[in-house]
Amino acid sequence: MAIAEQKLTSTAPTTKESFQWRSWLATVDHKKIGIIYIISAFIFFIIGGIEAMLMRVQLGTPNSTFLSADLYNQLFTMHATTMVFLVVMPMNVGIGNYVVPLMIGARDMAFPRLNAFSVWLFLGGGFLLYLSFLTGGATNVGWFAYAPLTQTQFSPGQGVDYWILGLGLTGVASIAGALNFIVTVLNMRAPGMTINRMPLFVWMNVVVSFILIFAFPTFTVASIQLLFDRQFGAAFFNPALGGDAVLWQHLFWFFGHPEVYILILPVMGMISEVLPVYSRKPIFGYSFVAFSGVGIGFLGFIVWAHHMFGTGMGPIANGFFAAASMVIAIPTGVKIFNWIATMWGGDVRLTTSMLYAIGFISMFIIGGISGITLASPPIDLQQTDSYYVVAHFHYVLFGGSILGLFAGAFYWFPKMTGRMLDEKLGKAQFWLMLISMNVTFFPMHILGTEGMPRRIYTYESGMGWEMWNFIETIGTFFLAFSVLMFIYNVLVSLRSGEVASNDPWDAATLEWVVPSPPPSYNFLHIPHVTSRRPLWDAKYPHTTADDHHGEKSAPSQIRYEYSHEDSPGAKEIHMPTLTFMPMVLSAGLTVAALGFIYINQAILGLPIRTASYVFVAIGIVMVFYAIRGWVLDSRRDSPYLGHH
Amino acid sequence: MRKDARQKVVLATVLASITMVLAGCANLPATTMYTYGDHATRILDLLMIVFWMAVAVFVVVQGALVYTVVRFRNKPAATTLPKQIHGNTKIEIAWTIAPAIVVLIIAVLTFRTQAANSVMPPEAIKIRSVAHQWWFEFQYFNQDGVSLSTPIVVDDQNQPTITTATDMYVPVGVPITVQLDAADVMHNFWIPKIAGKTYMIPGKSNYLTFTVTEPGIYKAFCAEFCGEAHAQMHFRLIALPAAEYEAWKANVSKIPAAATGTVQVLGLTGDASRGAALFADAKKQCATCHIINGTDAKGKIGPNLTYLGSRTALGGAILPYSVDNLAKWLQDSNAIKQGNLMGRVIKKGTLTDQEVADLTAYLDSMKLSVALPAEK
Repeated sequence: MAIAEQKLTSTAPTTKESFQWRSWLATVDHKKIGIIYIISAFIFFIIGGIEAMLMRVQLGTPNSTFLSADLYNQLFTMHATTMVFLVVMPMNVGIGNYVVPLMIGARDMAFPRLNAFSVWLFLGGGFLLYLSFLTGGATNVGWFAYAPLTQTQFSPGQGVDYWILGLGLTGVASIAGALNFIVTVLNMRAPGMTINRMPLFVWMNVVVSFILIFAFPTFTVASIQLLFDRQFGAAFFNPALGGDAVLWQHLFWFFGHPEVYILILPVMGMISEVLPVYSRKPIFGYSFVAFSGVGIGFLGFIVWAHHMFGTGMGPIANGFFAAASMVIAIPTGVKIFNWIATMWGGDVRLTTSMLYAIGFISMFIIGGISGITLASPPIDLQQTDSYYVVAHFHYVLFGGSILGLFAGAFYWFPKMTGRMLDEKLGKAQFWLMLISMNVTFFPMHILGTEGMPRRIYTYESGMGWEMWNFIETIGTFFLAFSVLMFIYNVLVSLRSGEVASNDPWDAATLEWVVPSPPPSYNFLHIPHVTSRRPLWDAKYPHTTADDHHGEKSAPSQIRYEYSHEDSPGAKEIHMPTLTFMPMVLSAGLTVAALGFIYINQAILGLPIRTASYVFVAIGIVMVFYAIRGWVLDSRRDSPYLGHH
Repeated sequence: MRKDARQKVVLATVLASITMVLAGCANLPATTMYTYGDHATRILDLLMIVFWMAVAVFVVVQGALVYTVVRFRNKPAATTLPKQIHGNTKIEIAWTIAPAIVVLIIAVLTFRTQAANSVMPPEAIKIRSVAHQWWFEFQYFNQDGVSLSTPIVVDDQNQPTITTATDMYVPVGVPITVQLDAADVMHNFWIPKIAGKTYMIPGKSNYLTFTVTEPGIYKAFCAEFCGEAHAQMHFRLIALPAAEYEAWKANVSKIPAAATGTVQVLGLTGDASRGAALFADAKKQCATCHIINGTDAKGKIGPNLTYLGSRTALGGAILPYSVDNLAKWLQDSNAIKQGNLMGRVIKKGTLTDQEVADLTAYLDSMKLSVALPAEK
């Protein structure tokens, strides 16, 4: 173990080093891939936020003519699609990508090239989704895309096709990513890190990966059926031709509800890392927190029809789905109580990250309570499709996921960049964001109760909705300002922030053993883990005696590593080499998907249809070229098969 | 001093919250908090119980969170580590059971309300509503011919006795069962003060039963996103005392008298008989989509316009009825309701102002005498 001067490595990357595009575009390093995910998701967050602000300006006053009906419908569809598929999911995956291998003491993900493929394919999907704004209008049927409005008869443009194929690509990327996470965590944990010693963030990533693998294919299949309806007249969801419109809802929500947990569980994992560190205590009830996550994962699959109480399923089916939905309140409540108990008796340090974590719990309590009324079918029939629902899921997804992600961002930023974010600015941002999100979203409960339906681009005056709508619109501007404060904080801190040590927060898990930022191979020496808090127990050996609740742990041998790329011994570590092939493969699939959108549109001219065949052909050639290159690259890379 | 300031902030927050809740209780046009129908009233009763339980849970959990954070905020002097507690199985089991009990109570109350709201009494009056992009159609039948066990199917043998749009007339104090259908895409039937939402699904009939308790005109919406003009797909429920409802039914079933009279609109004199001729003129295409009882206008795409002069609203209940608004709609419906299907054919300038005035006079001439109740 190379223990050198701390100065040697814990400085931020030297700015003299020229930025190498190749090292990013051809990277297979889980950390760089994680950062690509995070930056892309953040850019999409800004785009989705701008869409939200345009909608809020439109709704700020009654009878507004700021946006046309059709543009508004495109915006609300793309806002939801963006925030779900292009912001929260990839942000979770990005942070998971960066942190999970470090937390389990691994040098990379199990399939580094597949990992690169996932990130580029996700970007390809995002590109297709946004390209549709330029090619005749984005999808305008809602992110839930209820049949039969999605049929060509009612939605003749290509927006829906772009949406199907764009999400199809991100879906493949997500499934590949989920498999990668599962294999990584199951196979690549450091010696001694049993399942029951894994950090809770790792736990939640595994749970979410399983949810993804079981939920996403349903959506992919349903959306391909829809594509066949649109391109080839298949009529799966077209009642005019004998199809079933409600079937789409079942298939969509069988994916769509577990998707909600895909968005929130990794963030709950982050909270479960952040709270103990800043309370200087272990998590209260590790097993309860871990298994309540597993329980939510299972229950998430039997509640989908609570989105459909009004469709006439009958009181028996409604009763079942209501009961199952209410049962989810139990593991969720358990998590909240355990988090509060984690802080109880602790030495609570109110850093920015901790404030966000506490804000998460506080807002999630509100979102959880409003969820209970929606789980009750009779109440739901008044509240569903009104602004009350909009309030509910913004408390869960903004108050929950987004605040939690900021907690994670402030917590892991030093590890990822070697610099600390400014705490003062961060706290100011937290308070502004917390207040303005409540100003923006709380009145929506009232508007829904006062009968304002969702997804309306305008409303008449005299309904009594004017004041709250106006207040909400003002709130979004402050919310936007708080995001700008964060961007400013990041830009300034990257240049001149305080230099981060290996372990600036006095944390407990393995990512804080290695330098900030870590070298490409992460660990010079793979650590031997003997407890749930390997680093903590190494720093505070006297506290391990209290470890009565979990298993008994031997004194830990973990020491800080002050290694860098040229550390003695680093050259012996074999890491996979750069390759462009995953990117070429993703690009090929994207090009082929783009071509497929126009393949059977009778109304389009022959040149466009010919072009579409050419695109599909080019895409397929790229795919085969990339697969060949991928195989050759892996052979070259293998210490057993290639050169030496 | 700081403590004072903090107390003031707390007090202000509490007052603001109470104001907000009270504001939520004002009797606004579409509020769900003032109900005039048994379906919505049962829901409101259930909601109020759940609401106070939610308030209790909120206060306890949010209070515990805030108290914990404030009490255990780190003291700069603290140098020793806090006690490293890893959990307590008994406490954890307790707080697993506590939320279970809360949701069990809510579930039982829920099932009770759900059962009451699912009843379809045999004496209910059965009305069919068909949703179209972007307006509501209402069909009334001879009640001897309809049963609650099979869906009403409209065909050559079974024609509605009354077909109307935008204004749904019902009697007060009698259970109404609405058969909900859709002609094109999914819609959702919502009268906030009377009943919760029910989907209107192409290819599948749904039913909603409610009893209106007070005469009035109630706002109602399509609550499911249904395309470009979804925001402007409304209707009005007009609840009349039973005798007046029967009178309305008898009057509206009659064929309108021959069109006569004039109206002053757009600075022109519109003539009803000229308007009737225009309406029947195939080149003007009115009759391609619309029906007027007793004439050759038999189009089935748009709403039945018989007795349009007695409707309370136009264009999917987005414009109050008046001859001026009717003329505006005929001149340029796209400016009023983006995406509406008529606007794809009858664009701005398709009809001359004189033609608009004549059509207005014709449509306005078909009137019933109905004493309308107040808007609720």
